[in-house]
Amino acid sequence: MLDDWSHTLFQTDPMRFYRAKRDAAHRTVASKYNILGFISSGTYGRVYKAQSVESESVMYAIKKFKPDKEGDVVTYTGISQSAIREIALNREISHENVVALKEVILEDKSIYMVFDYAEHDFLQVIHHYSQTLRIQVQSQVLKSLVYQLLNGLVYLHSAHILHRDLKPANILITASGTVKIGDLGLARLIHKPLQPLFAGDKVVVTIWYRAPELLMGAKHYNKAIDCWAVGCVFAELASLRPIFKGEEAKLDSKKNVPFQKDQLLKIFEVLGTPDEKDWPGVYDMPEYQNMKRLDAYWCQSRIRSQQGHDLLRQLFAYGPDKRLTAKAALGHRWFQEDPRPTRNVFQHVPAYQIPPQRRITQDDAPSMMGVPAPTQPHTQPQGPTVHGHGQGHHLSQQSKPGSTTSFASVSAGAGAIQGYTTVQGGPSRKKARLG
Amino acid sequence: MATDFWASSQYKRWIVDRATLQQARADDLQYVDDPEYFTYFTIFFANVITKLGKKLNFRQRVIATAIVFFRRFYIKNAYCETDPFIVIAACCYVAGKAEESPMHIKNVVAEARLFFSQQPFGVKSFPSDNSKLAEMEFYLVGDLECDLTVFHPYRTLTALCKKESASESTAEAGEVGAEVDDGPRYWGTGEGRLELSDDALQIAWSIINDTYRSDLCLLYPPHLLAITALYLTLVLHAPTRDLVLQKSSSNTSNDAHANPLRRSSRQASNASMESKKPQDIVGFFAGLNVSMSLVATIAQEIISLYSAWERHREDGDASDASTARGAFQGVGSPYSSTTTTARGSLKRTLSESQSASHSQVGTPAEGTDEPRRMDGVGVVTPLMLIQLLTRMRENRLSDLAHATGRPVVVDKRLERTQAAG
Repeated sequence: MLDDWSHTLFQTDPMRFYRAKRDAAHRTVASKYNILGFISSGTYGRVYKAQSVESESVMYAIKKFKPDKEGDVVTYTGISQSAIREIALNREISHENVVALKEVILEDKSIYMVFDYAEHDFLQVIHHYSQTLRIQVQSQVLKSLVYQLLNGLVYLHSAHILHRDLKPANILITASGTVKIGDLGLARLIHKPLQPLFAGDKVVVTIWYRAPELLMGAKHYNKAIDCWAVGCVFAELASLRPIFKGEEAKLDSKKNVPFQKDQLLKIFEVLGTPDEKDWPGVYDMPEYQNMKRLDAYWCQSRIRSQQGHDLLRQLFAYGPDKRLTAKAALGHRWFQEDPRPTRNVFQHVPAYQIPPQRRITQDDAPSMMGVPAPTQPHTQPQGPTVHGHGQGHHLSQQSKPGSTTSFASVSAGAGAIQGYTTVQGGPSRKKARLG
Repeated sequence: MATDFWASSQYKRWIVDRATLQQARADDLQYVDDPEYFTYFTIFFANVITKLGKKLNFRQRVIATAIVFFRRFYIKNAYCETDPFIVIAACCYVAGKAEESPMHIKNVVAEARLFFSQQPFGVKSFPSDNSKLAEMEFYLVGDLECDLTVFHPYRTLTALCKKESASESTAEAGEVGAEVDDGPRYWGTGEGRLELSDDALQIAWSIINDTYRSDLCLLYPPHLLAITALYLTLVLHAPTRDLVLQKSSSNTSNDAHANPLRRSSRQASNASMESKKPQDIVGFFAGLNVSMSLVATIAQEIISLYSAWERHREDGDASDASTARGAFQGVGSPYSSTTTTARGSLKRTLSESQSASHSQVGTPAEGTDEPRRMDGVGVVTPLMLIQLLTRMRENRLSDLAHATGRPVVVDKRLERTQAAG
């Protein structure tokens, strides 16, 4: 009853009608959004600033996952684990202090994730205070930033989500001064995992923000790693420079995870070398023998035990089980003291002191911008490490004029995602373009 | 998220009613004369996914997620317009990633291609090209509206029950993993945990596995399925059932009407501490504060699934130990062995009707366009279903290709190709 043509189709492309139906119903990115400019890029793809066609005052950040290329022809190669995670998690969560995913558009072999737009991020704030204003972050602003960050983290942790890449570049602030945790590309659910956490990702968290148990080779870790990172971010906001600014040891050719000697030393210099009392179980850590060879530090914690410093000290507890949880941190008395945290983190900041708007540039990707872009004036060289965990964010390098786009928000998780793809044997990475 | 079912995409978007499911089969119904076939398709495809999942070394939860993805996909699409086998492979591929147990696309393609080329599927056209599966993944994720986090009843079951032999956990068919504090339950008000024998827990687990052979995962929240599985276990599993009866009779004699309303799960857990005293199982259920009439409805649906399933015969099926349906053979008679082996009487029924069924099956070449009407006694085999599916798809394709003036979305290029050819 089938003619030859139909029969051939049935045999060779049985899903043709299905696809035709779906394609006909598809609403394209271009029909819904005007792309205003390019924000940043990384191995995962590129991030654009866009406005809604329907209401032009509403801004979005569109994260376009790069389709893998085989030769010159773009083919379907399977959605990366990282993209699946970010999509799956973002579809379920909703919290004031976590960046909101508006929709996902699957089009032309690419994935577009449309997020609410955020004007600033912590890295930009740090840069703005240290380079432009040359003053400390006001204590109320500092407290509000940390409070809202913790508030978002409490939500993620209560949903059994580990972020695993908290760092200033991934923590956004809206124009109205609300902190939004962004970039869940490395995040994952830890509720009854079918596989141990280390099985999927050998390296997590950008090196400067990586908790000691990860540096010591822990195979099992928990929410405490995010709390350590909050401590690092807190300290960085307070001092306007990374507190533990170590050099990352590179993966060897067999992709073995190396001992991160320098990073641990940077931590020990500040907090002292841990012993079994500070950290029950430290003797049993895989890297303990390596650690023993390092010079010991006895400095009785440079962090004074006062007010906010007490909170910081507790976030920097060596033993993961002794470390303050996000929820306990949120209840810390520092937040009950004056000045109290504000909903708008910049509430009492004079207008001229508020960080500038995110800079966007023209992009050279014709598919999105439709305009051939000028050559990028400031292409920052790749960071000193093989997977560039956050190393591209040296503040000294960012004092160059016109480099503010490195404060890219949604995207700046590039470093860690890159680490991930490197481990996964992904495509060679392309360095973030800084306009 | 992981704890808040009520805020989940599953609750907000993917719990549907029967009318929606019926509507979803409207196109297919044109090519099938008895909608009951869809029940068999539902069983059959779940079995196929389970088998492919096992070949991929997936854990039960990954398989369950793949089946849920498949069900959701066919809320929106028709069997007759799609190739369920590539959809199945894509569901498995995505489920692996969604459950953090990723499998390389090459492996999925290779396993699926090999498996589907065998009998009874005989699919010769499964693409060897990874990009075809990746393309299907893309469309699948789109049809799933990117909702890739699935709640399953297994979790409620483990939250509700503890094993008698709580010391060793490896024997459990259940998912092992880091023990995570679940926090407060997202439904009901019950406290404490029911203490069950390993056998009983295994039955409940198997009943949950069985629910994936139906559309129940689209109709009800997972915790209700878990509670129903538990309820059925108490009915099916003789030693446990006896415990319940024993307790209720001792209730009437000893503490009868002492405090019937306050007979709570707290009491039950206290009772289980003193290991000799039987637990107050009825009280435990009452304390859960879920609609027991809804649980009874679901129990009815599971039982009707089993009666349909009895007529669905698969060769490999007999060795599948993860199902509890055999248990129903034992209902009403003294029954003590574990359910998964109680298939003897079932087998006899099947072999009797098997010869009859063979005469029913027509090959696509010689058969009529419409499948034969089912007559209530026949057995449904995978081969029959695949032949029916092939006919449905060929007829649909033919209708679509030759449609003139029918409001069907057709790629214009197709018509041009046709005109040219």
